[in-house]
Amino acid sequence: MNETLAFILEWVIKGAVLIAILLTGFAYTTYFERRFLARIQIRVGPNRAGPFGLLQPVADGIKLIFKEEVEPAEAYRFAFLLAPVMTMVPAVVIMAVIPWGDKVVMFGREIALAVTDLNVGVLYLLSIASISVYGIVLAGWSSNNKYAMMGGIRSTAQMISYELALGLSFVPPILLAGSLSMSEIIQGQQSSAWYIVYAPLAAIVCFIALLAEVNRAPFDMVEAEQELVAGYVTEYSGMKFALFFMGEYIKMAAVSAIFATMFLGGFDGPGVDTYAWLGPIYLFLKIFGLLGLMIWIRATLPRLRYDRLMAFGWKVLIPIALLNVFITAALIVGLGI
Amino acid sequence: MTEELVVTLSALETRFPDVVKKDERKGYEGFLVDTKNLVEVATVIRDELGYDYLSSVTGVDYLEEELLEVVYHFYRSTGGKSLVLSVQVPRKKAVVPSLYDLFISADFQEREAWDLYGIKFEGHPDLRRILMWEGFEGFPMRKDYQEAFFVEDQKPFANRWPEGKVFRSEDENQFGKNVQYPKGFDKPKKWDPEEEDLLYAGLQELGKKDSGDLATDHVVVNMGPQHPSTHGVFRMAVVLDGERIVALKPVMGYLHRNHEKIGERNTYLHNIPFTDRLDYLSSMVNNHGYVLAVEKLLGKKGAVPERAEYIRVIMSELTRVSNHLWAIGFLLNDLGAFFTPSLYAIEERELILDIFEATTGARMMNNYFRFGGVARDFPPGVLEKLNSIVFERLPRKVDELDVYLTDNEVVASRTKGVGVLSPEEAIAHGVGGPVLRASGVPYDVRRADPYSIYDRFDFDVAVRYHGDCYDRYIIRIDEIRQSLRILQQALKDIPEGPVLLKNPYNIRVPEGESYGRVEAPKGELGFYIVSDGTANPYRYHVRAPSFVNLTALEKMCVGQLVADAVVVLGSIDIVLGEVDR
Repeated sequence: MNETLAFILEWVIKGAVLIAILLTGFAYTTYFERRFLARIQIRVGPNRAGPFGLLQPVADGIKLIFKEEVEPAEAYRFAFLLAPVMTMVPAVVIMAVIPWGDKVVMFGREIALAVTDLNVGVLYLLSIASISVYGIVLAGWSSNNKYAMMGGIRSTAQMISYELALGLSFVPPILLAGSLSMSEIIQGQQSSAWYIVYAPLAAIVCFIALLAEVNRAPFDMVEAEQELVAGYVTEYSGMKFALFFMGEYIKMAAVSAIFATMFLGGFDGPGVDTYAWLGPIYLFLKIFGLLGLMIWIRATLPRLRYDRLMAFGWKVLIPIALLNVFITAALIVGLGI
Repeated sequence: MTEELVVTLSALETRFPDVVKKDERKGYEGFLVDTKNLVEVATVIRDELGYDYLSSVTGVDYLEEELLEVVYHFYRSTGGKSLVLSVQVPRKKAVVPSLYDLFISADFQEREAWDLYGIKFEGHPDLRRILMWEGFEGFPMRKDYQEAFFVEDQKPFANRWPEGKVFRSEDENQFGKNVQYPKGFDKPKKWDPEEEDLLYAGLQELGKKDSGDLATDHVVVNMGPQHPSTHGVFRMAVVLDGERIVALKPVMGYLHRNHEKIGERNTYLHNIPFTDRLDYLSSMVNNHGYVLAVEKLLGKKGAVPERAEYIRVIMSELTRVSNHLWAIGFLLNDLGAFFTPSLYAIEERELILDIFEATTGARMMNNYFRFGGVARDFPPGVLEKLNSIVFERLPRKVDELDVYLTDNEVVASRTKGVGVLSPEEAIAHGVGGPVLRASGVPYDVRRADPYSIYDRFDFDVAVRYHGDCYDRYIIRIDEIRQSLRILQQALKDIPEGPVLLKNPYNIRVPEGESYGRVEAPKGELGFYIVSDGTANPYRYHVRAPSFVNLTALEKMCVGQLVADAVVVLGSIDIVLGEVDR
């Protein structure tokens, strides 16, 4: 077997496995959220379908597939169909640069546990993350509904305010590692300490900005139920709605993975040097913990108001993030970390 | 007649000789005023006599005398008894000057009287139908109006049980016999109710005033009737400039069932379970208001035993606690907290409902009060459970809610300074209950015009002074604490004895009018009843607190953001069952 073919095959298989994990994992993220929310809210949560309600996501999926797809009469059909795809695809491809572990030996080959290791991984993350907002804007605009349109407009404004802070909060890890590549950022953390220790402020800003990025409470302006009914998804039903839903939950997992990689050492953990297979487990646990944190926040906090959210983004987060870049740079030069 | 009213009467008679007359009909306590002098008299009443709170405006149809009457109930916002004015106009030409300019609280109530009685209020800026649908023909509360399945004027209908067999009137009376259509309705494609256009035209007019030099377009958004946070089928037609509200009109009546007409067909006792369905979250307070109005007319026959009075107070206060818990929980939901606070509040409410279930047999539709008492005594064991809840669990849980919510940064930033209503505006808009008291007016019917045995208990009237949503939230916590104080005293003092001396199934109420009002959890709940001495009320009117409180919604929302409108609505705490009636 020639080397190129093997390389392509390996790459395709890794990609397929990742997508399969994400698409099934998404369903169980919803299950996890519903059960965990219920626990917080002194309820039981779904426990009827299958043992512990484990088949509930399957039942939901089947229900959504068989639902009638309703399209508003005055909707702009092309954009209306394109929008769910544009939200869903970036959420999946963003995971490509996240390393799941170090190299393992399989079938006599040394295989890196990452779909790819771009040397500009962080830039890739940022650019892909901003694409998905187009899906929301298109959905809001094309469905010819006032609530949806307002949701779309809100998401644009929110994205602009938080993308900057997010980008700036990635700078300290980049400076500390001296590289834009995700694997080198992890190596940097393995050789010193997790960057949340060196740049706690950046980690906090990053987490808040990521919450805003995925439109999770308390930043869920875009689909604020109490105000905009369902925001940009108001007119969507059936599988098209499910795609938005999928996009949202996969993105939740994706941003958790990004945060874990940038600040919590990615797949790093005790014993990972000798047993490379521990890497994915550690990363999974970190993602799981971050998801739990997001759900906890959703269950606890009321929603911020739209204008205060903007003010918070521009007047608080961006200055802090900017300041943090300078402090980190000064420390690196001064102390030679 | 009380001393206070005698003074008022002499003051009015000296000011307006021959214009204001004492109502001489049997059982009536008010004054008759000439139509053309109404505004003048009302001005004097408000500015010189201090009756600044117009509680209720309603119509009565005296078919035999060929008269339509408008009845006004005025109160002083400092407390005291009512002043009742009546205006009589001929049925053929029912035109009355509007009091909108003096008392904004007349806004919806005059619209309701127009809608149901066809009394035209001259000078009302927006006299449209409010409860009936836009194209409705006729005025349903008039005594000569007959609904589609009309059988008889008064229950019990003779034809319902012919020879002991079940019979439904729909089977005999096919739909259509009594239905009246508006002009042009037989060509439905062309037919276009003009009321809806009037609504939008009025909104555009309101929106215009606000636009500056820069030409921008406003968006009209209909929030509701199907909207997650309107607490039912309620609609706010909103004109938006960006996300800022420049004009807002509430639209209601989607749940309208003409409760009052049903009430006039029913016998007096029939009506008690119907009042449960008004504000279905606090049904026993509704019972209380209605029974109180009828007992006033009954006089000695309606005397209530001591133990029953205590049970009434206990039930009313428990209802208030459960209602406020619900209101706080769902206000937090409107703020976007995903059900956690509301579920914690509902957990406590469930315990109260358990007590209701044990005592009355139902958790929500209690149907528990009777004329001259309550239906049955507490079953064994309930008082002990009640004691443990009232003395131990609830005070602790209220403190817990207070600790978690009151100092929450997000709650404060979302509600402080939002939807401000000044004390003067609050009185002029006729709002009641927590909304009024949060604006700095310490007016509580339990203290201002004590009914039942509320004058025996030691409690404070909760009051807050900013008039914003935050105060309207926190005053509910204060009120729960005060209710618990009353409950603790009542539970200590409750005497033994009967709870109902005689259960009169078919009661004949002496002639006259009466207005029974109670401090419902949502505001002042009034029942206006006119009896003609038969087994059925001649006029049965509900002054629903949610309905009148909504008058101030527009005032509170204009200039705020969309997100705030939802919070303001949540802080008023409406229940559509009594708004639409």
